[in-house]
Amino acid sequence: MNGFPLLTAIIFLPLLGGLVLLARPDRPGFCRMVSLGVTLGDLALVVLLVFLGMENAAGQWFRMEDYAWIPSVGIRYTLAADGVSLMLLLLTAFLGVLSVLVSWKQIREKVSSYYFFLLFTLTGILGVFLATDLFLFYFFWEIQIIPMFFLVGIWGHEQRSRTAMKFILFTMTGSLFMLIAIIGLYVIHGRQTGIYTFALPHLLETSLSIGTEGWLYAAFMLSFGVKIPMVPLHTWLPDTHTQAPTAGSVILAGLLLKTGVYGIFRFALPLFPLAFRAFAPVLMVLGLIALFYASWIALSQVDIKRLIAYSSIGHMGLVVLGLAVLNSITLSGSLLQMINHGVSTSALFILVGMLNERIDSRQFRDFGGLWKKMPVFSAFFLFFSMAALGLPGLNNFVGEILILIGTYRVHPVAAVFGFAGLLFGVVYVLRMIQDTIFGEFPGEETTLRDLEAREIIILGTLALSVLFLGLWPEPVLNLFQEPVNALISGIS
Amino acid sequence: MESTWILIFPEIILATGGLLILCTGAFQEKKEGQLIFFLSLIFLGGAIGASVFVPLSGTSLNGMLDGGGYARLFSTLIFCIAFFCVLFSFNYAKNHSFDGDEYYAILLFSVLGMDLAAKAAHWLIFFLGLELLSISLYILIAIRRDDPFFGEAGLKYLITGAVAGAFLVFGIGLWYAGCGSLSVITRLSSGAQAADIPIMLAALALILVGIGFKISMVPFHLWTPDVYQGSPAPVTAFLATGSKVAVFAFLIRFCFHMPDPLWGPVQPILWVLAFLTLVAGTLTALSQSQLKRLLAYSSVAQMGYLTMTLLAVKMESGLFALAFYLMVYAAMDLGAFGIIASLSDEREDRDALEAYEGMGYTHPWSSAVLTFSLLSLAGLPPTAGFVGKVILFKAVLQAGAVSLAIIAIAMTVLSIYLYMKVVAILYMRPASATKPAFQMGLYEQMGGAFILTFLLWAGVASSPLLKIIESMVQMAN
Repeated sequence: MNGFPLLTAIIFLPLLGGLVLLARPDRPGFCRMVSLGVTLGDLALVVLLVFLGMENAAGQWFRMEDYAWIPSVGIRYTLAADGVSLMLLLLTAFLGVLSVLVSWKQIREKVSSYYFFLLFTLTGILGVFLATDLFLFYFFWEIQIIPMFFLVGIWGHEQRSRTAMKFILFTMTGSLFMLIAIIGLYVIHGRQTGIYTFALPHLLETSLSIGTEGWLYAAFMLSFGVKIPMVPLHTWLPDTHTQAPTAGSVILAGLLLKTGVYGIFRFALPLFPLAFRAFAPVLMVLGLIALFYASWIALSQVDIKRLIAYSSIGHMGLVVLGLAVLNSITLSGSLLQMINHGVSTSALFILVGMLNERIDSRQFRDFGGLWKKMPVFSAFFLFFSMAALGLPGLNNFVGEILILIGTYRVHPVAAVFGFAGLLFGVVYVLRMIQDTIFGEFPGEETTLRDLEAREIIILGTLALSVLFLGLWPEPVLNLFQEPVNALISGIS
Repeated sequence: MESTWILIFPEIILATGGLLILCTGAFQEKKEGQLIFFLSLIFLGGAIGASVFVPLSGTSLNGMLDGGGYARLFSTLIFCIAFFCVLFSFNYAKNHSFDGDEYYAILLFSVLGMDLAAKAAHWLIFFLGLELLSISLYILIAIRRDDPFFGEAGLKYLITGAVAGAFLVFGIGLWYAGCGSLSVITRLSSGAQAADIPIMLAALALILVGIGFKISMVPFHLWTPDVYQGSPAPVTAFLATGSKVAVFAFLIRFCFHMPDPLWGPVQPILWVLAFLTLVAGTLTALSQSQLKRLLAYSSVAQMGYLTMTLLAVKMESGLFALAFYLMVYAAMDLGAFGIIASLSDEREDRDALEAYEGMGYTHPWSSAVLTFSLLSLAGLPPTAGFVGKVILFKAVLQAGAVSLAIIAIAMTVLSIYLYMKVVAILYMRPASATKPAFQMGLYEQMGGAFILTFLLWAGVASSPLLKIIESMVQMAN
């Protein structure tokens, strides 16, 4: 089972690169190049994993690694990749490269430690997507927060210190209660079978009383709900997004939020199927509320980053709806939508970051008429905005339609509300376009620098992914097929 | 007969060391600390070595000392703590001109007291050890005689210590009256009457008050912040780690061997004490604006976590968790107070939180050690504190104290705010130019580097250490 530890290499390559950077704080250029090299190398490893995995797939899992870690307490270092983890790894590695590129000119102070924390975050996130030992999962789950705390708190905007604190408090509150639930589950399992272990396959066989299952499930969902974020646990997200540097927003929207959905899919749902079914209506309602409420709030924002942050909450509401309905169509749809949202929202945050570098503002009142000043930028902006509002042919459309069709079969009312909620989305996206690229430019500057080659490459690759996912989602959906089926047969 | 003497070899080394240092001081022309500093390091190193290599045994010396693995673990830990305190003391003592023989010799005597308290299997030995450590600490705290501030702290510790001692002696007396033996580990003989139980409980209450003072359990903790703040920083480090570990080690033995008819009523008392200590320690720490006071309250809260784990003391997993967490606790508090010591100048200790603004950039290594200690106190990965908390909560849940565990987790959330606030001050504020600080000296660097490595290593690769503890725990009885 343990050949070359490819999964371990994928997880720890970024951290290793980051440690190299710390040794050379005096040479920012070197640090940028090394970070780029490391993230590209990681992307290459993930692609390698995709090809190797396709060949030697054994059932749901493409590849596993398993070592004893802390045997005295039954903790193992177990990594496993299935189709879902694979796509998320690909997304992580891809956005990792982009976030290095995005920060190329934006970050000028303490470059080496900046890239160290960036790469460290990536390691944490990659670990979350691969771990199947609950302790190991929790270890990575918390570890991804800490470098993010520093990224926001040191390199963020005006209110950075306060926001970093808010971020860590919200996420830790959720996750510490999950820790208690994990240990509780471990103790219950140990009492029943005499085997004290954190391994997911073993814990799946624990029989729980209804009450206990409900409480454990609630603790898990508190943690995942903060991360997704689900209304009413979302209030940290707009602040953190607004204050984070661009790469921070990319990682946050593109990756950290996905760890919450992934956690539900991989752990909360299979471990506590009865509780999940019992509370599914609540989740559905919360998802729909998020869709309406966040879209409505987004409409009234004056800060463009806040608007996009609220749009994230709305989109994730739809993903939660898909999870709660729990059939194979909506599950695939939710997983796909997670990837889609990661790509298109990251693109929007990157665009705003580029704008911020030129105009030094995030307020709508300072924008307008950009179409004349920066045509290339505006074209990309329009393209990704269209993707965000779900134009057919672009990526979000596929995910949304899958979720809503799947929902319509079982809960037509919920589907109707879902469609209605999407209309709200159209309104705020159109408003965002109108206030930035159309109209008159309010500032003094006669010319604004349009995009340079580096920026066009970043946005170009993102645009290609949007088109690919929108026009030919088949390969991705095929990857999800096996895990989704395994999950559904496992819980019924 | 010979084999029993070898068992107290570490203690003999320490006592000899202390006396030898005093003699050296007497014959030294000029008071200069280098030689004495090295002597105390050598004797402490010797004690560590002896403690590791002397073969284990059961209860020895007529049932006075516990020679088993569990006790040995703690006395080795105490020697290591003292070793690092001496490392952190060197510059501080030199700058504050108390680096004579008396400081190091008294430090060694106080280590001897801690060691005896930790190993005691007999109430008299425990009391002897406790008094030895307390009296030495009274002096160490007030070692700067010219400074009324330190004198005040010493006096406070003296008075509370005396009160605690009085409670303890009375408790021990009642205990003797109740069961007719001063041994800590005798089980209640079959002859013990049900009528004796109330007396034993009264004894227990008094003993808990006495011990509670020493390990600053709420509501007996009020001296802690004042004394911590008023003591020289290296002494604070020693006080916060060494004396706590020693007394707690004894408390563990006491609870572990407590006869069942007593253990039943004691559990709810411990529950309440743990609850109070956790909640009060964490909540008061939140509003502190001085680092030493903040850490003082945080150490009160840490005692709360440990007291909570005492509920699981009758299980192997509980003993295991307590041993590991005490070790981690010692390392992280040593790191934090040691760094304060290394940054303080000759006038006063670096205490106000504002003085730490932006130090992450002016003093990267000191800040790294401090940050790791704080992350570990908060229980965040990849530090030792995280693994420690997980093992600890596991034991508590196994003992069935679910509601207490949930309260403790809520307090952990609050404490994350507390510790991250300090980290944010270190890294997320511009450096304050008002108060330049020392860079670390060589010995402090060595101590800091070791603590940093330990916290990281025990956080990601703790299994060898845990294996050792596991094998020691199995020999606990």
